[in-house]
Amino acid sequence: MTTASLSGEVIVSFYAAASCLAPAITRPTVPFGVRVPPERADAPVIRQQRRAYYGRTAIIGACCIALVVLLQDRGSWWLSRIILLAEIVADLGCFLIARNRIAAVKQAERWYAGHRQVVATDTSWRTDPPRFPVRWLIPALTVIAATILIGALRYPHLPARVTADGHLVPKSVVSVFAIVAAQLYVTAMWTGIMLLVYRSRPDIEAVDAAGSTRRYRRFLAACTRAVLTLLALVDLTLLLAALRNWQVYRLSGIGSALPVLPFAVGLLVLAVITFRVGQGGSRLPGGGRGGYGPVAGVDRDDDRFWKAGLIYVNRDDPAIMVGARFGVGWTFNLANPMAWLVIAGIVATPAGLVAIGAALGM
Amino acid sequence: MLLSVEPDGPVPIYQQIRDRIVEAIAGGLQPAGSGLPSTRQLAVDLGVNFHTVNKGYDLLRQEGLLRIGRKSGAVVQRDAGSGPPRPDWAQDWAARLQTLLAEAAAQGLPAQDIVRHCQEAIAAFTFPVDGEPGPGPVGQL
Repeated sequence: MTTASLSGEVIVSFYAAASCLAPAITRPTVPFGVRVPPERADAPVIRQQRRAYYGRTAIIGACCIALVVLLQDRGSWWLSRIILLAEIVADLGCFLIARNRIAAVKQAERWYAGHRQVVATDTSWRTDPPRFPVRWLIPALTVIAATILIGALRYPHLPARVTADGHLVPKSVVSVFAIVAAQLYVTAMWTGIMLLVYRSRPDIEAVDAAGSTRRYRRFLAACTRAVLTLLALVDLTLLLAALRNWQVYRLSGIGSALPVLPFAVGLLVLAVITFRVGQGGSRLPGGGRGGYGPVAGVDRDDDRFWKAGLIYVNRDDPAIMVGARFGVGWTFNLANPMAWLVIAGIVATPAGLVAIGAALGM
Repeated sequence: MLLSVEPDGPVPIYQQIRDRIVEAIAGGLQPAGSGLPSTRQLAVDLGVNFHTVNKGYDLLRQEGLLRIGRKSGAVVQRDAGSGPPRPDWAQDWAARLQTLLAEAAAQGLPAQDIVRHCQEAIAAFTFPVDGEPGPGPVGQL
């Protein structure tokens, strides 16, 4: 059992669970990416499609987990990636079946006929904005600092050839400290995304605008803390991998899986938190108390801006990021050039780091 | 304050934004000196073009209800407690009210119903208690 194959198992299992349970944590008024009026949120077709989706994705997930466990010691590290890809495609198919059936009934029965469709916001989101929990970054930064310190102390004692990415390479500052670059990249990228999310708009429901704004604040605070905790644990996983490469410890058998443990715990924490709060805080209690209550109307039918119910493309919307339509999280507005710039930065940075590493390594 | 617009409704969005903010000021939800989101922020929150919000804010600025500073952002300039309006403004408003009431009369709404609607609307507004002027306008235009 290697760290790579075990992390493959962790990711395939996590994706199976997250994908299967996504309808439970999604907002009830956007089942499978279809916007429905609140009184239709429990329509027979939605209940039926949700049940079918749970069944299908549970079977797919069980098959994929069985496959990745059985094949863990055969093939290369990419085998779990292929299984993961197949799992994603199959689950996407289940999602689209449910979405198309619900959308067809919605259209045939004209669910939005006679509804006043509105977009609601609470200006207090801007005049009294939530604060980013900077202190929750301390654990991640401490782990990175520890990695740099231990690396610097170990460097003179390392042999001429060191392990990096599972291969033996000549010892150099780049090959020894590449893992620190990975830590910095992951931490900076996710912190940047969460900062962007703090500037984005909250998901506010017209039927309970004041209550949903309050719930969104709690949701954002909880999710940000969970993400920053996950970051610290991912950095710890990288530190443990680095320590092994730097010959600080050596474990064989099941012990070699030690570095994956913090990462798995982080994913579990994130999953538990998101399951408790739901998308935009939709599973949190406390609606309609205080504030100014509802606004007249229902949330606007915005299905036309959601391609395949998952991808947001709206030219008239200046937002860079918006709340995800399925599951918990956020997504980019792909009609906004700034969103593409951010995506390019996320993709180009690791490529740039690898290129710089290669150039310096030579 | 809660602000909602009907993007596909018959009234232009910038007009809806302006109307909702006027109502919030009259209702005491946005007193003089209170802040509003910047044009960019409100555009993001409502998912509408930046220029749409700008147009709505500009109407409010021309009416003397909003002050937009580079550093202070959008701040409510006056409310019911800020003293009487300009005489020419009151004249202008009376003319518009005449049209609005005429619409109801032309549609056959009885006079007592028209008065009842007016009373209900006024009951939702906040007026300063006599002898206790409000905070007054904040800063200079």
